[in-house]
Amino acid sequence: MYKFIKQYAETMKDANIYPMVSLLIFLVFFIVLLVLVKKMKKEKVAELSNIPLDNDGQTDPTI
Amino acid sequence: MQVEKFYYDNRIVKNFAYATVIWGVVGMLAGLWVALQLVFPSLNITQYGSFGRLRPLHTNAVIFAFVGNGIFMGVYYSLQRLCKARMFSDKLSNIHFWGWQLIIVAAAITLPLGLSQGAEYAELIWPIDLAITIIWVVFGWNMFGTIIKRREKHLYVAIWFYIATLVTVAVLHLVRSGELPYTWLRSYTWYSGVQDALVQWWYGHNAVAFFLTTPYLGLMYYFLPKAANRPIYSYRLSIIHFWALIFLYIWAGPHHLLYTALPNWAQSLGVVFSLMLIFPSWGGMINGLLTLRGAWDRVRDDVILKFMVVAVTAYGMATLEGPMLSLKSVSAIAHYTDWIIAHVHVGALGWNGMLTFGVLYWLVPRIFKTQLYSKKIANTHFWLGTLGILFYAIPMYWAGFQQSSMWKQFTEAGQLKYTFLETVTYMRPFYAMRSLGGTLYLAGVVFMVYNLYKTVKSGKLVADEEAEAAPLAKDYTPHTGEHWHRWIERRPVQLMVMSMVVILIGGLIELVPTFLIKSNVPTISSVKPYTPLELQGRDIYVREGCYTCHSQMIRPFRSETERYGEYSKAGEFVYDHPFQWGSKRTGPDLAREGTGNLKKTDGWHFRHFREPSSMSEGSVMPSYPFLLENELDVSSLEAKINAMRKLGVPYEKDYEKRALTDLNMQSEEIARNLLSDSIRVSSKKEVIALIAYMQRLGADISKIKTATVNK
Repeated sequence: MYKFIKQYAETMKDANIYPMVSLLIFLVFFIVLLVLVKKMKKEKVAELSNIPLDNDGQTDPTI
Repeated sequence: MQVEKFYYDNRIVKNFAYATVIWGVVGMLAGLWVALQLVFPSLNITQYGSFGRLRPLHTNAVIFAFVGNGIFMGVYYSLQRLCKARMFSDKLSNIHFWGWQLIIVAAAITLPLGLSQGAEYAELIWPIDLAITIIWVVFGWNMFGTIIKRREKHLYVAIWFYIATLVTVAVLHLVRSGELPYTWLRSYTWYSGVQDALVQWWYGHNAVAFFLTTPYLGLMYYFLPKAANRPIYSYRLSIIHFWALIFLYIWAGPHHLLYTALPNWAQSLGVVFSLMLIFPSWGGMINGLLTLRGAWDRVRDDVILKFMVVAVTAYGMATLEGPMLSLKSVSAIAHYTDWIIAHVHVGALGWNGMLTFGVLYWLVPRIFKTQLYSKKIANTHFWLGTLGILFYAIPMYWAGFQQSSMWKQFTEAGQLKYTFLETVTYMRPFYAMRSLGGTLYLAGVVFMVYNLYKTVKSGKLVADEEAEAAPLAKDYTPHTGEHWHRWIERRPVQLMVMSMVVILIGGLIELVPTFLIKSNVPTISSVKPYTPLELQGRDIYVREGCYTCHSQMIRPFRSETERYGEYSKAGEFVYDHPFQWGSKRTGPDLAREGTGNLKKTDGWHFRHFREPSSMSEGSVMPSYPFLLENELDVSSLEAKINAMRKLGVPYEKDYEKRALTDLNMQSEEIARNLLSDSIRVSSKKEVIALIAYMQRLGADISKIKTATVNK
């Protein structure tokens, strides 16, 4: 039944390694990202998230 | 520190805003028109107005003209303010604006003329591709110039999304546009068959990701806090959203090719990464919606927030549905049906459309220093838009399920229960309802045009808006142990490079093996290059956009092999530049049109092209009487054969010199066949070439029943 899949899976040597490597790369990337983001300081986060909300340096507040 | 005075450029924002609105109306009108063509085929007026040519016009107009200008409008407004600096160069801004509009006009002229490369969302011909590249560089130059002379130390998350968009769209466009020109207007893609399919859906999927999604997420992260007047719910989440999204998106393309002749490992890779995409996507949606926590009462009164809430919700729905659709078992049902059309319109009408409208209503009164003319009209627009989406999507979902189950249904005796034509005529009421949804949505936009027009009239453009901010300290010394992301936030170039690395990892792992490893595409010895006449016919097939309704890819399901014949093999497409697998079956699959049970006489095809409903009653296919009139253009035949040979198609040495003789011989034979069927037609007409191509489809592997697979 799976002949149509086997044909392609077999023609590339060690094709299984691709999804494995991909998953591994992403997991490492994601875990490092999580740890680094977790370590951010609270005040800094607040400062950053308020960037769009200061008045853009506008001198005419009616705009 | 001395505060500097400077001016924001609002004129360029205004220009892009106008372009967004105008092209939005044009793109949606084209959409409504093609929707109606499926209900009333007589609306296919002349060769320039047939469905196959107008449907690419609709998709290109909505993606690159409406959303494209929407992106630039939002970026030029927000980038200046987030950087506290005027755009780097007014000249570049103007070149960008007019260049982009010229590209759109060129597309609007060439597509109805049938100048197309036959790849979805990448139809535009090579000179336009070149122009897009130049204008994109201008945009990037202007953007980075602005970022570099900024007065705000940190790059707000919206800017990262803009940078990732810039970089990735450039990479996608360059790879997809790999093409070999053979005349000033026409070219063949470098890639063939399976490789072309993989490149196409890597591109197509990421056009959705990096043209319709990431830049709009940037807009969401800027304009939603602005409109709600509160910071984004979680800045930390936005960092994760950004990196995880751009990392994952680039891998997911192969989910468009499940159960096709694409190597299985690539299919699985696409599925896994598509599933993982739920998390960053929903992270982003939740981040957007929770920004309104404690302020939901305002959503009741504030029409701009209403638009944005529906937009973000539609983003969430579409990005949950996408990963679900990429599961193989779901794809088996949904692929080729109108379900996919529903899915993309939840994204386009809901996410892109509603967010664009919200931003327009927020921004136009501001740059014209006035108030929105009428909140009531805007509210009407909101409800028309929301209802329009529902009236559009629900019939299409229904149609998709229905279509798919009708295709797959067998009688007790084990035969297919419905002919393809029965499933087509069954769809017509749904297509009609969908047109109603589209009309409602467009009506809402007309209300918006009026409202914005009155708003603009009541104010005056603040072309140069005064602002002041302190310049960045040149001698900034980072304190020890500072956070990595603060480091990168100050360095746009590094941020760009890192985004590029992140997207290239996925791109390379996905694409390179298929290019390098020949055994990925097992060759089939009986598959031979097209004859000159078939090649010409194939070019007509591409020109007429037949791929917008017909697939050429039979999946290995009994319901498909019973209906169409042997499932498609990768090796059958090695000479196809471009591949024409298609993505939608408004009409039946054509992969085995020239062989087995499906084979028809030349006369049948002739009559069918002249008037499809005369052969298949109730068919919604356009008539092609002009193919019977137009003389086949053989002037570039030599160039075509040479180009194909350069791309690896094994035409013999000097074959181009004999090609015309062969072409004439084959076309005269078809004309004789037609004559014996009492059809008198000159062998020089285009229809002859197209018939030749139809009769060739799928014929190769039936020549040898047991196809030899060379490993």
